[in-house]
Amino acid sequence: MTTLRLSFDRIRKQLASIARHPYFGFLAFGSILVVLRLLAIGGVIPNSLMKSLVITMIYAIIALGFSLLLGYGGLASLGTAGFVGLGTYFIGHFSGTLGYPFAATLLISLLGAIVLGAIVGFISLRIEGMYLAIITLGLSEILREVFKSFTAFTNGVNGLGFRDFALFGLPVSDTAVDFIVIFVFILIILGTLNIIKSPTGRALLAMKNSDSAAQSMGIGLMKYRLLAFILATIYAVIGGLLYMMDQQFSIPTTWSLDFSLNILAAVVVGGAQSITGIILGTFMIFGLNMTVLKEIAFFREYPDATWIVSGLLIILITMFYPGGLIRLIQAIRFWLVKTGKKLKRKWRIHRYGEDD
Amino acid sequence: MIEKLLYVILAAVGLYELVDLAVLRRMKKRLVHRARLLNLLMLLVILTGFAFAIEAMTLYLFLQIVLLNIVEMCVLVLATTGIVLIFKTSVTTNFAQGTIATVGAFTAAKLIIYLTANSAMPMSTKLILALVSSAVVCFLIGLFIDTVIFRHSRYSNPVGKQMITMGIVLVLFGLMPVLFGLLPLTVEAFSYEGQIINLPNMFPLFLPNHNLYALCITVAMLVTLFAALRFTKWGLGVRATASNETVASMMGVNTKLITALSWGIAGAFGGVAAFLFAPVGNAVTVSFMTPVQVNAFLASILGGFSSFGGPLVGAVLINLFSSIASAINSVWTNVIVYVLVLLLVLAKPLGLFGKKTAKKV
Repeated sequence: MTTLRLSFDRIRKQLASIARHPYFGFLAFGSILVVLRLLAIGGVIPNSLMKSLVITMIYAIIALGFSLLLGYGGLASLGTAGFVGLGTYFIGHFSGTLGYPFAATLLISLLGAIVLGAIVGFISLRIEGMYLAIITLGLSEILREVFKSFTAFTNGVNGLGFRDFALFGLPVSDTAVDFIVIFVFILIILGTLNIIKSPTGRALLAMKNSDSAAQSMGIGLMKYRLLAFILATIYAVIGGLLYMMDQQFSIPTTWSLDFSLNILAAVVVGGAQSITGIILGTFMIFGLNMTVLKEIAFFREYPDATWIVSGLLIILITMFYPGGLIRLIQAIRFWLVKTGKKLKRKWRIHRYGEDD
Repeated sequence: MIEKLLYVILAAVGLYELVDLAVLRRMKKRLVHRARLLNLLMLLVILTGFAFAIEAMTLYLFLQIVLLNIVEMCVLVLATTGIVLIFKTSVTTNFAQGTIATVGAFTAAKLIIYLTANSAMPMSTKLILALVSSAVVCFLIGLFIDTVIFRHSRYSNPVGKQMITMGIVLVLFGLMPVLFGLLPLTVEAFSYEGQIINLPNMFPLFLPNHNLYALCITVAMLVTLFAALRFTKWGLGVRATASNETVASMMGVNTKLITALSWGIAGAFGGVAAFLFAPVGNAVTVSFMTPVQVNAFLASILGGFSSFGGPLVGAVLINLFSSIASAINSVWTNVIVYVLVLLLVLAKPLGLFGKKTAKKV
């Protein structure tokens, strides 16, 4: 009997230690998403809701890349839209129009992302702060003009369609794309977690707080700035590939300043340094109007009016909770714990009398 | 033409390195002299670039395109002034400048429709009323943003302030269809006729009257603004706030009032800009000012945020670049302009007229 209880204890302890592992929460989140997707196949959840969740996940991947720049590197960039757009056109042109295998497309996209990220990184060594944000905005506009005018590659202003996607020779259905997105999303989250906790992430943080101090501690500014921009660009391009698989259409007007600003908003609203916060922020900016608000009659009449909610949210959160929603949640949790302790003490006093 | 320009640039770079290594190395204030040399060479390269371009496209074509583009230049200059004014007093890049201006243009268009339906005023009176209404509405929005939102944001780092302006963009984006309807509107031009200018040895040039009026309005507004900055107490306050807000408020400058007024005036400049921009082939839609906004940002960093005049020169330069580029290749105009600006800013990271400020470590 005792041995049985002991082994139960051991199992419980092991389970607790698994639950405390940093990966556990995100893996659980991933499994919940998979279950939701399965429920959608079963018809329990409306398919449109699932579609909005999938596109929100793609935006969250892009936002995670951006948070490496803003939250960790302290580098403001407004070029996200251009890079994501480039990703969509890479897969649309090479896999769609030319019919290359997916592995080749992925290789080309990664190479393109590395080259582009390195270029922006080199620019960031010379130009800083607000100037850098506006220069990257200029780069993004250059890319958008290329999308508009380079018709052989992008099909111009009419937009590029992308159908019949095949992975390793097998055709991929819409449902399978959703699972791919969930898989890549969880993979990216775990990767980001590792980068943040590694010496690279610490070096980026040091660089954010003070260039000079970081340099004097032996952190090469050039290496880490380039790395930050290359990583962010790779995330953006991967987001672009997934966007094209999911939406099957890409048009230059999507990749304008608004898109970059929305990603920036998602990162800042959620809390630039926390993965949970960024997922939350992305849902607040992109997911909320797709899932909840469009059910309200007023917003059905004026679809653009959903922007008012996002805008007010951004203003209020930056005004009162500059650390992002995640700080708000932490504050609430702190308050709950404190109130719980107080109530417990009061109950004890009531039960056992005052001890002095 | 491009080959020639490349040779000039290469020669300039070579000259710079040569003089730097041979002469400046022995001088005491090497950095100062180096910056001066760089300025001189860049000025020369830009001027020769313009000369080559004008030679390639003939002087007549250049003048004609510039005359036709005057209104865009005025719009860009006005928008840039607004952005710089806000940057100076609130240390943030105002993403909402274009959107606030769009609200002004919508008001003007609605007012014109209302007046046409309900009164028998002549067109010119209606347009002047509409212009004033656009400016006043934008002034009030600017004032509101500063007094209600910016004054109460507890946490004021630059990125946070940028985020607030971007939130304002989203709110206005959402509000405009609700307030003004979903259809694009139009604003009439002051006049659809034009002047013929005869210069010796050249075909006659054509200058649309709308451009002439736009130029007059812009010049009048800029002269008033710069005179106010130079001679009035408000101008002194703005300059003091721009140099250091805390110290200025300690010296008895009412920085809150100064900032609020700056926001209002910047908004009014935007409103006038949108009103002038709407008639030249642009229907008033929610995002019709976005290209102007992007160009105004680029102009500000091309000129450098540290002076009031620099960004205006940047705006004029960007407009001239795009005039020339549109004659050379109409499809890739914007790409050529952006790449040029990018290269110029890479050569001078703080802008053409920027001054380096000492950074505390």
